[in-house]
Amino acid sequence: MLQPGKAVKVTIYLSDGATHHGVPLYSSILDFLFFRGVAGATVTKGIAGFGADHHMHSEQLVDISDRLPIKIEFIDSREKVEEILGKLEELAGTGLIEMQETTIAKPAQLSKPVKPLLPPHLKIEDKAQIMRIFVSEEDRWKSKPLHEALVEALRANDIAGVTVYRGILGFGAHRRVHKDKPLVSSRHGSIMLSVIDSAEKLRAFLPIVDQMVEEGLVVFSDVDVVKYAYRALDMKQQETPSASAPVEARP
Amino acid sequence: MKEEFTGRMLRVHFGEDDRWQGKPLHEAILAKCEELGILEAVVFRGIEGYGSASRIRHVSHWPYSKDAPIQMTIIGAEEQIAKLTPYLDELVEEGLVAASTVEVVRYSRAPERS
Repeated sequence: MLQPGKAVKVTIYLSDGATHHGVPLYSSILDFLFFRGVAGATVTKGIAGFGADHHMHSEQLVDISDRLPIKIEFIDSREKVEEILGKLEELAGTGLIEMQETTIAKPAQLSKPVKPLLPPHLKIEDKAQIMRIFVSEEDRWKSKPLHEALVEALRANDIAGVTVYRGILGFGAHRRVHKDKPLVSSRHGSIMLSVIDSAEKLRAFLPIVDQMVEEGLVVFSDVDVVKYAYRALDMKQQETPSASAPVEARP
Repeated sequence: MKEEFTGRMLRVHFGEDDRWQGKPLHEAILAKCEELGILEAVVFRGIEGYGSASRIRHVSHWPYSKDAPIQMTIIGAEEQIAKLTPYLDELVEEGLVAASTVEVVRYSRAPERS
């Protein structure tokens, strides 16, 4: 949040219609400023103007009215501006960037009171394995779709997580091309289950896969996982309740 | 029947509107995989993304809009994948291929005897 006092105001002049990665350039720059945590930014559209190339752009000429001038302004501390200026110059391309010293008399207030923050979540980094199971959407296990039965079996065995993907095209153990035909009920697709847990737990689960999958492929590879969790934090606190402040035993 | 061996997995990323000789690129790659007897090849369509073509690709509300990100997962024995890579070099003009070594477990029905 900005403090009253010295700050820098940056103004970027662009021509409307300029694009960056297929989206309007101003929106690309605005996103960049937003995700870099700039205090605030405003985009204004001019009604007429000309730039370095000395072409007059005006609202009255229909054919060039999509090249009207665009101005992006934002105010932040000098350090913040210097930190992002390099990338900003690159983004602005042929546009002009102007900086001026300014003084903040009164910083903007948040329109809504800040919600009380949740306790910081826990970040766990670990080695794990990813197990990908390839089956067909029409495969069944005890009259239930095989992939659904696998998800239930994984959950029953406390495997950390699974995501089921449906392919739009593919072939596998059946040696026949599955095609997802639009407008026709697509019940013949390739299915991939992506399961992540420790190597030991996945290997321990494999005998269950052996029983359930008649035709299919299972592929293991090593991954480094980064897991964010609230629930694990509670568990950790329960495990080590007296690290710094011993808690008295309660009846 | 169950077999276990070490294999290779490729993940090829490109766009749904990419073509090879007028045919969707993923169909061309899939046909090549089949020809080489590769074990498993599946095409997935993402709902949003950006990549080497540096464009945000996304599927609009129109259900069959093109230009969605495509990811192909291809699994095979080391030699099969080695044979496929030169074709990918030729077919994929703009895209990304990620390769990794994997442990494969293959389940197949025993050939029927009459």
